[in-house]
Amino acid sequence: MQQEATAGLRAAAARMNRPARRSEGRYALPAFFFLFFLFVVPLSSLLLRSVTDPVPGLGNYAQLLTDQTYGKVLFNTFAVAGIVTIVSLALGYPVAWLLVLLPSRVARWLFAILLLSMWTNLVARTYAWLVLLQRTGVINRALMSLGLTDHPIPLVNNLIGVTIGMTYIMLPFVIFPLQTRLAAIDPAIMQVAAISGARPTQVFFRVLLPLSLPGIYAGGLMVFVMALGYYVTPAMLGGTSGMMLAELIGVQVQSLLNWGLGSAAAFILLSVTLALYALYVRSVGFGQVR
Amino acid sequence: MARMKRAGGLRLGAATLLVAFAVGLGVAKADGPVTFVGWGGEGQDAMKKAWADPYEAASGVKVLQDSPTDYGKFKAMVESGNVTWDVVDVEGSFAYKAAAEGLLEPLDFSVIDKTNLDPNFVFDHGVGSLTWSWVLAYNKTSLGDKTPEGWAAFFDTKTYPGGRAVTKWLAPGMLEAALLADGVPADKLYPLDIDRAFKKFDSIKKDIVWWDSAAQSQQQVASGEAAMGMLWNGRAHLLETSGAPVTVSWKENLVTADYVVIPKGTKHKAEAMKLIAQVVSAQGQATHSALTAYGPVNTQAEALIPADVKPALPSNHTDGQIVIDLGYWEKNIDAINKRWYEWQAQ
Repeated sequence: MQQEATAGLRAAAARMNRPARRSEGRYALPAFFFLFFLFVVPLSSLLLRSVTDPVPGLGNYAQLLTDQTYGKVLFNTFAVAGIVTIVSLALGYPVAWLLVLLPSRVARWLFAILLLSMWTNLVARTYAWLVLLQRTGVINRALMSLGLTDHPIPLVNNLIGVTIGMTYIMLPFVIFPLQTRLAAIDPAIMQVAAISGARPTQVFFRVLLPLSLPGIYAGGLMVFVMALGYYVTPAMLGGTSGMMLAELIGVQVQSLLNWGLGSAAAFILLSVTLALYALYVRSVGFGQVR
Repeated sequence: MARMKRAGGLRLGAATLLVAFAVGLGVAKADGPVTFVGWGGEGQDAMKKAWADPYEAASGVKVLQDSPTDYGKFKAMVESGNVTWDVVDVEGSFAYKAAAEGLLEPLDFSVIDKTNLDPNFVFDHGVGSLTWSWVLAYNKTSLGDKTPEGWAAFFDTKTYPGGRAVTKWLAPGMLEAALLADGVPADKLYPLDIDRAFKKFDSIKKDIVWWDSAAQSQQQVASGEAAMGMLWNGRAHLLETSGAPVTVSWKENLVTADYVVIPKGTKHKAEAMKLIAQVVSAQGQATHSALTAYGPVNTQAEALIPADVKPALPSNHTDGQIVIDLGYWEKNIDAINKRWYEWQAQ
């Protein structure tokens, strides 16, 4: 009797975990149509254009991958995304941890501040950084009046400006997944580590950090992928030597009408993003993607 | 059975929806209102007042406003045959490029009267809607008592130290300014000596403060971030009148025009031609100039423009003015653009 009940439970559990049967597939039809006509079809035509316009062949891809100018744009895109990801994680981690430690009354305020900045217009926030960072900007004026420097430091229209601006915008996207992950860790584990004689640094590197890795992956991937396609901020805060892929696509498609080249660039960006995502799902598991 | 039916019904429903969707895309009423497209903001409000409103009042045909002009969208519309824009205000270089690519309807000059239009700004697929100039705007606070005049001064960072506001996006007129500064006579500019122009830009490269929107260009010169800037005359004029410590030099101003064009495949060709006729009419041009400080393309408009507006218009600074050769740019813009990005990225 007891055994039968357990077996029944097991069977039920197995049913729950089984992938949907064929007959249930029809519930996915609307979603399938939606994705097919709004994503698959346009993306196929994008791919088609990249190998047919202006002449059939792989000329656009060859140009993008061999030409020095475009090569530099590709390099910039990945370099900036990488730097921004690392800086965002380094700055976001302590904030996420703080959100976990603070009493909920205070944490709520901190959340509100983070969300408020996220809801503020992107262009306005980017422009504010410009006002702060430029040669005659607030920061340089303050530094000069304090006598710390006698000429303006170039903080904007270069990699520094882009990194600052993008990191600032990306921070919430790192903090929220990390906070979710860190909150799920049982604080007792840290106590156990401390009682067992681990120094604070050891507690961090050998207990907390490994346990929060999924959060780091999730936040890091989110930021990296978003940063790859970033347009407004690099365009406004970057120098001319730091053009990124999204801006190149914009110029080719909207001003120069070179749709073939633009499509090829867009397709490269999409492929890389999907590849990274696949890698992530394989290493962390689909369920962890939040 | 019921299950079968429902699934079939779903599929059928989706198919019907798709067919309806596809059909809906290709169908449009031919006697509908005309759609005018501009760049949005105050500029388009002025266009509406000067061109669309009088046209509506005279013809009874409604003019819908859409913005902003987007070349990607423009091309996509023409390619898909689903054109919802009828008259579009575009930059001159695009007008020529789009005509060469077959994206424009040829204009009907039996409807659009071109007798009084400046021939510099008329071609078979487009007419100027407004003229504007590249001018030198400088910050008086940054330069003290120095008064730079002309492009040679702009490229002379020894005599006039300080940043230089230049647009990030290569536009017709920029290489011309460099060549004029380097001593090329105005009548010998074309075809442009590209190498020489870039060499001249090299000499000020480290002083350039890049701008990617007109508002930014104003802010840079007004704040002293740049001691001088290569600006659009309308924006420079706004700075002068806003009380910022900025003076505008019109010496060697490089004039060009925005154009109005008709996308190929429009459903309202006749109405679009009539609307363009209103755009380039003397009164339409005069009203627009009075509202914006951009110049008229119609020579008869001058008499109708208030005297206090005139000093700000390109048409009032024709002495030593250079007309940018858009035909040359249409053929060479891709190559020069690529070179520009390479040069910027170095």
